[in-house]
Amino acid sequence: MMTGAILQAINGVSLAALLFLLASGFTLSFGVMRVVNMAHGAYYLLGGYVGLSTVRATGSFALAIVAGGAAIVLLGFFVDRFLLRRTGENHLAQVLLSVGVAFVIGDIALQIWGGDSLKVPVPELLRGPMELPGGLIYPAYRFVLIFFGIVVGVLLWLLYRKTQIGAVVRAGVDDREQVSATGINIDRLFVMVSALASFLAGMSGVVGGAFLTLYPGAEWEILVYALVVVIVGGLGSLEGAMIGALIVGLLDAYGRWLLPEFSYFVLFAPMALLLLVRPRGLFGKEF
Amino acid sequence: MRRADIALACAALALALALPQLAGPFWMGLVTQMLIFGLLALSVDLLLGQTGLFSLCHASFFAVAAYTVAILQVRYAVPTALAAPAGLLAGTLLALVFGIAVRTRGVYFILTTIALGYIVWGVAHRWSSFTGGDNGVTNVPFPALGALRIDSHTEYYYFVLAVMIACALGYRVLIDSPFGLGLRGIKASETRMRSLGYRTNLHLYAAFVLSGLLASLAGVLYVYYNRFVNPVSASFPISVEATLMAIVGGSGTIVGPFIGAAVILGLRNWVSSFFELYATVMGVVFIATVLWAPEGIVGLLIRLRLRIASARREAS
Repeated sequence: MMTGAILQAINGVSLAALLFLLASGFTLSFGVMRVVNMAHGAYYLLGGYVGLSTVRATGSFALAIVAGGAAIVLLGFFVDRFLLRRTGENHLAQVLLSVGVAFVIGDIALQIWGGDSLKVPVPELLRGPMELPGGLIYPAYRFVLIFFGIVVGVLLWLLYRKTQIGAVVRAGVDDREQVSATGINIDRLFVMVSALASFLAGMSGVVGGAFLTLYPGAEWEILVYALVVVIVGGLGSLEGAMIGALIVGLLDAYGRWLLPEFSYFVLFAPMALLLLVRPRGLFGKEF
Repeated sequence: MRRADIALACAALALALALPQLAGPFWMGLVTQMLIFGLLALSVDLLLGQTGLFSLCHASFFAVAAYTVAILQVRYAVPTALAAPAGLLAGTLLALVFGIAVRTRGVYFILTTIALGYIVWGVAHRWSSFTGGDNGVTNVPFPALGALRIDSHTEYYYFVLAVMIACALGYRVLIDSPFGLGLRGIKASETRMRSLGYRTNLHLYAAFVLSGLLASLAGVLYVYYNRFVNPVSASFPISVEATLMAIVGGSGTIVGPFIGAAVILGLRNWVSSFFELYATVMGVVFIATVLWAPEGIVGLLIRLRLRIASARREAS
């Protein structure tokens, strides 16, 4: 029982690492551009598929991460520039339009990669189980994923809090007009943030595809998890995404373990209760 | 209503009544489906078109009502007279709970309703001992009220048509009532309505529950038509498609959602008969609607009518 509880905690945290990778991009692009991009799940899935093909062709997992991310940066740029930007700040239009984009991406991915569950091959080094202190046996890959998530999280946090670019981004979250009034090229900022968000989504597809597998429909399942993360954490907040990811990851792991038939309920009911008390999530701002 | 509109409505009604004589069983099935999904789209539009709230969890009420009817009828042999009201009740109770979402606005409302909708899908999908998992519940019988029973698709079509007309009339009374005016006031400016003393959250909550009731009705009609139900009916794409139907037809109108349902379902049937990438076509419809026809077909027709009228005025 005790070992089970600890294993589930590690499961939860490693899922949290993945969710953070995906949700941080979503929350940043909302915070800065006020864009709700429901295609984020489809970006994840497509990034994963591109990564899968890269591993099959070259055998390199690192290259797959870069390729998956880069492919989505390119795609995301066109979606932002030619579709989402035309909706202004109409969230209803953004949601419908990006759902449409996600349908198209999912359908085309289905034609190329088929309907089976596919797994991105994990590098030789991380295959199989490893022994953790205390004699616990755990899949090496998922354990390393936790560290990967922490490293990316710290880097993002440093970028966001400690650099000048981050300062501009934070200023953009708070007051866009003021930022462009000070002479900062807000367009370039948007392109940068959007590229970062896309890269994170594509990359998380490769990373997640190695243990959650990739299949048609995975884009919506992972998107909903990411949405709960940002709802709990508060839209537009990087710290919120971190805390939200941890909460969602742990709730999901324990929910699946203790109440497998109601794991969704265990995940979403606390979120609904939280909204009763704090309608904007833990760290959300007024938009 | 103008005289032309009344004439148009009478013609549509005559056509709807004569349809079983004109069309074969395949087309009758499709038209029944259009009416049912039109009701679902109308329920979504009660929030979207009248209050401005964009809900993406209406498949939940639809599915919970459908599952309740199916499970009661198939597994417990409960008669329609009890099963159908139980379905409505179950969907509406769920709306009473999910109604807490009206505490949020804008993006948070959209995202919250998506997440709430997934609870229902997740339960339908995972709680297989009760819901039948991915196979769902099959062999739902035609509805029967004592000696009165429906035993053909044509009869069921007339039944759905009657329900739909009753709902459309009721909907019209509702949106013309002071309550409906209050909702549109909130859509136009919530702060103003609040400073006038309206309890806007309560108004929105009531609208949400009514909308859930209407979606549940669509769910009950659906399960008797489809004769089975599975988790797909609770899924996110159903909620999105219902919204798309409302917008394609014309949000904020009564005929709009039905026109939208007819267009989307018709398109789906037509496209999937010769083209594999059906979802891509749907995705493109989403994008095109948002970019080029946000007021929908009814909006375009109204604009066309205004243009013709002003052209006529200039000519005379």
